[in-house]
Amino acid sequence: MRGRYIAGGTTLVDLMRETVERPETLVDISALPLREVTVTERGGLRIGALVRMAEAAAHPKVRTLYPVVSQALELSASAQLRNMATIGGNIMQRTRCAYFRDVTAACNKREPGSGCAALEGFNRTHAIVGTSRQCVATHPSDVAVAFAALEARVHLLGPDGERGVAFADFLLKPGSTPNRDQSLRQGELITSVEIPAHPRPLKSGYLKVRDRQSYEFPLTSAAVALHVRGGVIHEAKVAAGGVGTVPWKLPAVERHLIGERSSQALWTQAAERAAHGARPLAHNRFKIELLKRTVERQLRIVGGTP
Amino acid sequence: MVATTLEAAQHAASLVTAAYDAEQPTTDMADMADAPAGEPQTYARGDADQALDSAAVRMEMTYRLARNQHNALEPHATIARWDGDKLTVWDKTQWVFGTQMELATVFGMAPESVRVISPFVGGGFGSALRTWPHVVIAALAARETKRPVKLALTRRQLYFGTGFRPAYQYAVRLGSDRRGRLTAMVHDVRAETSRYETFMESVLVPGQMLYSMPNVRQAYRTVPLDVNTPLYMRGPGYTTASYVIESAMDELAHHLGIDPIELRLRNEPDADESSGLPFSTRKLRECYAVGAREFGWHRRNPQPRSTRDGDWLIGTGMAAGVYDTARNDAQASVRLDADGTALVQSAAGDMGPGTYTSQTQLAADALGLTMRNVTFRLGDSLMPPAPPHGGSWTMASVGSAVRDGCDKLRQQAIELAVADEKSPLHGADPADVVVSAGRLHVNGDPARGETCQQLLTRNERPTSNAPAGRECTLGVGDFDEVEGIHGGPASFPVDGLLDRAHDLHVAAAAADVAAHPLADLLGGAGVPFLDAADAGHDLPRRAEPALEGVLLDERPLQRMQFTVLATWGEPLDGGDLGALQAPCQRQAGVDPPPVDQDGAGPAGTGVAALLGAGQAELFAQQVQQRGPVVDRGGAPLAVHGQRDATAGGATAVPPTSIVVAMNVWRVGAGAGPSGGGSYDSGSSVDMPTLFVRFGGRSVD
Repeated sequence: MRGRYIAGGTTLVDLMRETVERPETLVDISALPLREVTVTERGGLRIGALVRMAEAAAHPKVRTLYPVVSQALELSASAQLRNMATIGGNIMQRTRCAYFRDVTAACNKREPGSGCAALEGFNRTHAIVGTSRQCVATHPSDVAVAFAALEARVHLLGPDGERGVAFADFLLKPGSTPNRDQSLRQGELITSVEIPAHPRPLKSGYLKVRDRQSYEFPLTSAAVALHVRGGVIHEAKVAAGGVGTVPWKLPAVERHLIGERSSQALWTQAAERAAHGARPLAHNRFKIELLKRTVERQLRIVGGTP
Repeated sequence: MVATTLEAAQHAASLVTAAYDAEQPTTDMADMADAPAGEPQTYARGDADQALDSAAVRMEMTYRLARNQHNALEPHATIARWDGDKLTVWDKTQWVFGTQMELATVFGMAPESVRVISPFVGGGFGSALRTWPHVVIAALAARETKRPVKLALTRRQLYFGTGFRPAYQYAVRLGSDRRGRLTAMVHDVRAETSRYETFMESVLVPGQMLYSMPNVRQAYRTVPLDVNTPLYMRGPGYTTASYVIESAMDELAHHLGIDPIELRLRNEPDADESSGLPFSTRKLRECYAVGAREFGWHRRNPQPRSTRDGDWLIGTGMAAGVYDTARNDAQASVRLDADGTALVQSAAGDMGPGTYTSQTQLAADALGLTMRNVTFRLGDSLMPPAPPHGGSWTMASVGSAVRDGCDKLRQQAIELAVADEKSPLHGADPADVVVSAGRLHVNGDPARGETCQQLLTRNERPTSNAPAGRECTLGVGDFDEVEGIHGGPASFPVDGLLDRAHDLHVAAAAADVAAHPLADLLGGAGVPFLDAADAGHDLPRRAEPALEGVLLDERPLQRMQFTVLATWGEPLDGGDLGALQAPCQRQAGVDPPPVDQDGAGPAGTGVAALLGAGQAELFAQQVQQRGPVVDRGGAPLAVHGQRDATAGGATAVPPTSIVVAMNVWRVGAGAGPSGGGSYDSGSSVDMPTLFVRFGGRSVD
């Protein structure tokens, strides 16, 4: 197997212990100068790949400009993990599907062609959108849901130089190659995640629904950012977590909100569109209704009701 | 796989491919609805079926309770080391003697040749009340490699390498009159067990005595599934039954429109109706009164979903729990040294309740010393026997032994002082002498006295092997064991243990606390982990084959596990009970090891030479007390009638000792009961070790 970059190590070391990942070479990148949070020329934010989750969450610019990012980070993992794990590592983390981590189980993501034990197995926590016959595992990151909602860009550095990738194109749906989680090229390294400028004021927030109140991955989650001017919603950015093989952008919900005035009826109608195209498995049908309610509540929390 | 580093062991294990013939497993009782179950445990009073037929109100409910896996913060781990034909094991165990007995049986050794050390258990919750296969594997690997071996279970291995609270299907039918007065309850209880063992616990007790009613019928069956054997967890059986019965009572209250507390008050018994005996403690009416007042019970809106706080539904409910105040035989040794410090020892455990602290407090109080000058040690099979650290009885059992031993020792010191011509207390009435903050003085005349240090220093004598040269020590208990009198010279290193106990030994049954048979283990009612329990069916399904080979190959191990469990009062399969008689007696303190007598003789003589005449008599009396016990020697288990009944397979039910507690709580909708905490502790052994990892890849 090829090499792996290692920074905080909170995902990779676990996977190596379980023998899911067995890299021949580890390249420690933790000393690279990628720990800055900077405001871009256009007024967006650029978060260095090695900024710790805790640092990013507490950064005054992040907190004031994009509370949805701070909240998603602070609802993730544990304080100890947030102090170690980096932003780059966070979006690189691999699924928590139990079959992926159990090396005795069939898993196309871990071992292409071996099958998917989750399809017929215990799949209560698995994805209802973005799935394929090869893989139904969710992407576990919370902050990636916020990045997806805000249409972030991932900046990469590789043998062929720098390039930027839209967040929606960075994480890959499983399709027929579930072993590929990201659209990285050989040797490429994440240098930063850039959140573009959005019209202000931008109200935003993250809601996470899970089996226990702490240290748990989402069953469903919703990242919502709204720009309201004169009582009218001019911009809406909405994405859901815990339901997709990648963070799930909800354009149908966004379209329904644009140009409308806040009301409970609007939130309900918009959220009705959250689960379009969902394909539930044997144990996760509940996620369809739960997702709608999660989105509805978070729209109400961020947008309020007059 | 055994290797010199953990990484090498893990890597080697990953290279092993084991092939199994896979069959469709059954891990869920729901799939076994019509499966033949074992012979039921039953109980009946009155005619419950007839009473149900004629009841004005009849209700029928079935409760399914998910399995609760043991997975404490501190996983199970073992270090094993052989010194010639002696085995020393550092283990996470709630009962060093259980582990000692099991290892002795597996390896065909005398129990005295196995030493088990467990100064810190970490989170126990019942999971360390049985000796698991990995302990034997560690010892076996150490024997084969002739090196110390360390084996720590991974989190995943805890799911199949230890036990769990079994899943239940508990059907209850109740009958009452229109005012909610219960007339009958029928309990049909089914619990999962493994294919190779029957595990049962005291799930029937609450249904027999929680509420007053003339007619009760109970049947408790186990359903064998393709799972590993369950084990006790936090209030085993009691918690399960209380949940079911209290849920059923709430259903009845709701059905009849009666306040849930009022309904319970109408069914409050005056005595334990399963035995007719009064309760030792039952303050349930008082609990209800205080709880209702503190939680604002009467302000609550009983309509479901009627109270909100933003997006949260607020509910207020109540339930009663019941647990017996069990107690078990325990011994302790106590020694007072010339430097004014005391050492107290008992082979108890500390999985987090603070045994170290509480016993130190008790001892300091009884000895008249400050806590700083008292050291309490536990968790070593060389120490005086203590019962399993479970069942909520450590304080009552070990505490009683410590208290009794310390009282006796304080009395010895007083006797020594009043007989000593050089003591300011010479000639005083012993009954007038008190000890406080390390000083003996006449009650009401603090000026007339001296410190324990002064008294013992003046009564010094040369010692043969204590580096300090000259010391004087007073002691009660089984100090002899560490010097090897017990079963011949021991080759166990006694590092740190009783390091100053080389001079004066007073062997006496310091404190044998009698107790009734054990009904069950573990009090409390928390749930350590709120599992997504259905996930559990899948993990053991793949993990279990790895263990199965081990279990089949270690038949002696399994047999011993039956017997060890059976000594705790839980009838398992009932076989092989003969094998446990001797260890059982030892553990129970019925027969302290007869060799103690050998130690008592010379020690008594030494004391007589050292102390005054009255003091010698005191010791002689204690030695004599021990006499009849020793005479019983190899007497069969029947000398202890109650325990014998347990060994015969009867369900041991505590006859009179009941504590009832009430919990009233307030929860937010969507928030389940939160998990219990765990005790963070650790012990390390600094030595070259080998590492073991078992497992590997299975191919269906």
